[in-house]
Amino acid sequence: MKSYSNRYVLIYSAVLLGAAALLLSVVAVTLRPRQQHNEDVGRKQMILRAAGIVSTAESAETLYAENISETSLGEGLPAYRYGDKHIIALHGKGLWGPIWGYMCFDKEWNVCGAVFDHKGETPGLGGNIATDEFASRFIGKSCVDSTGFVPIALKKRASKESRHEVDAISGGTMTSNGVSEMLRECLEPYKTAMTKQYR
Amino acid sequence: MKNRQLIVMPWRDNNPVTVQVLGICSCLAVTAQLKPAVVMAASVTVVTALANLIISLMRNSIPPRIRIIVQLVVVSTLVVIVDQVLRAYFYDVSKQLSVFVGLIITNCIVMGRLEAFAMHNPPVPALCDGIGNGIGYSIVLVIVGTTRELLGSGCLWGVPVVEHTGLYNIGYEDNGLMLMPPMALIVVGLLIWAQRSKNKKLQES
Repeated sequence: MKSYSNRYVLIYSAVLLGAAALLLSVVAVTLRPRQQHNEDVGRKQMILRAAGIVSTAESAETLYAENISETSLGEGLPAYRYGDKHIIALHGKGLWGPIWGYMCFDKEWNVCGAVFDHKGETPGLGGNIATDEFASRFIGKSCVDSTGFVPIALKKRASKESRHEVDAISGGTMTSNGVSEMLRECLEPYKTAMTKQYR
Repeated sequence: MKNRQLIVMPWRDNNPVTVQVLGICSCLAVTAQLKPAVVMAASVTVVTALANLIISLMRNSIPPRIRIIVQLVVVSTLVVIVDQVLRAYFYDVSKQLSVFVGLIITNCIVMGRLEAFAMHNPPVPALCDGIGNGIGYSIVLVIVGTTRELLGSGCLWGVPVVEHTGLYNIGYEDNGLMLMPPMALIVVGLLIWAQRSKNKKLQES
């Protein structure tokens, strides 16, 4: 076997690492605007989906500009408006990483649409929170009643009559708990606006 | 060995998963559904092929003492580029695969082929070997992904196929256990068993 001097080894590693670093920087910088655009379109598509508007990656920006406006429901309480409905952004923790979503409420603050997504939940288990079927379980639910704020919770065998319970994901208990926690944390600050109708 | 053989051998008698028993870890992680399994298989094939080619081109200049580190740098650079390209041009798929793309770096097949083949062979055979092993891995991933998605959630590629057969009406239920990671290992184990009982060459005494 050929032997190499220490100097050769050091120079070889330095050149290799320099080349790899340069290549990666060039790739990252050239692709950045496209990736940012994708993320932005992805976010707008999610908001549109929560509002019940079907969009494609191409039509999302126009539809968003036509239908959705940004508003505020109080100090530090941003929301999106679609007609007389409000859309609120959600951020929380799943089992493996962040989860997020948007929830659309009608005039009486009943849920009329929802959408969830995740960074790294297990496909087929916790990852199912991103499906339309899961999101549709929330329609008609509410997180307020005459007693005040009642968070919507995910439960095994949720009661069908309750307006504050939703069936959890089988095999995705940790992710489901994360969703419950997210709904409580992100929606509670809005309770003043939501309970106005009972006062 | 001819280049064509280098491509075809890893599909069956020298399959990286069922015979060399490499890359089992990702077999377990991405096969609960067919679609991520297919995208993962394609990404691994691209990375194995290119890494084999590049390492083979560099093979005479790499100091043996640091060869593993050199291989690792090449593989991780390629994987990060694949990840960035997916995020820019295939946003939906990249969201679905999320962390798994980064984990290709640790896929034993990639470094296994670099050490076993690319370090001692010229570029064209190395490229063929990479493509072949990528396809061999893909075949197993597709079989396991199909089995698990079909029996576990009654779907294929997200389409609820079992629903149309009317099996649910006569009392059939999806087997949730299929979606759990251990079932992937059991399915791979069954594949290995089936392959070895058919192919006497592979049986150890």
